[in-house]
Amino acid sequence: MTVLLRDPLLRAWGVLLGLSLGSTALSLRPWPTELAAPAGAVILTLAWLKARVILARYLGLAAAPSWRRGFDLALALFCLLLLGLYLLPLAV
Amino acid sequence: MNDASVFDELPGDLMIWVLIVSELLVFGAGLAAFLAVRITDPAGFATAQDALHRSGAGLNTVVLITPGALAAWALRLHEGARRGAARLALVAAALLGVVFLAVKSAEYAGKAADGIAWDTHPFFTFYYLLTGFHAAHVLAGVIVLLLVAWQDEARNIEAGAAFWHMVDLVWVLLFPVIYLLR
Repeated sequence: MTVLLRDPLLRAWGVLLGLSLGSTALSLRPWPTELAAPAGAVILTLAWLKARVILARYLGLAAAPSWRRGFDLALALFCLLLLGLYLLPLAV
Repeated sequence: MNDASVFDELPGDLMIWVLIVSELLVFGAGLAAFLAVRITDPAGFATAQDALHRSGAGLNTVVLITPGALAAWALRLHEGARRGAARLALVAAALLGVVFLAVKSAEYAGKAADGIAWDTHPFFTFYYLLTGFHAAHVLAGVIVLLLVAWQDEARNIEAGAAFWHMVDLVWVLLFPVIYLLR
């Protein structure tokens, strides 16, 4: 069991599973308006973390740190753009 | 003189990365457009989104993520000279891809039975466009996984697995925006 948990591929799969189920659980009930911003931020952060795991562990960017940082930054900026667009109706 | 290029650091074939970035840009533009149009009618988008089955889509996400792990294991098994096990892992990954498509088809059939079409509301135009285009990629991924299980050189398995990881990567960004952001 410990050997399995040490396996980076299995660990990545477990992390993706946990993050996916976690973000789904978060949206099963409607949010009050005042919680829309933190809930949206958490869901998009979980999406960003999942994308990072796929890029680093499955697509091999863990071995290419400069590319990994570049992809992480671009995806973080993209998720911030999505969060801004999601929250805009609350501001107008 | 050092002829090493920054691209040499990238794992796998450069062309698969060109494909990954292209797909991220296309789906990324689609998701940004979805949220931009939502600004004009947030209440209508929320009502339309409530017609989706969030927990079912969450479980289907698990179904989609698992073939990625199997494809990655297949490459490792092949490198460890366990060719039969690698092929089995690739076929199992393809079968899970088929399960994802079957659940997606049932989802579309349910919407059709409820009288929901692509032109019912702008939400559903984006929903069908983005999830349908993604499903087409899953179908392509299933075919690619079966092809590399048959022609199982390490280089083919690496490219096939990378294609599937790209399909996963798009879904982990698409799923929360379409299904979860209320």
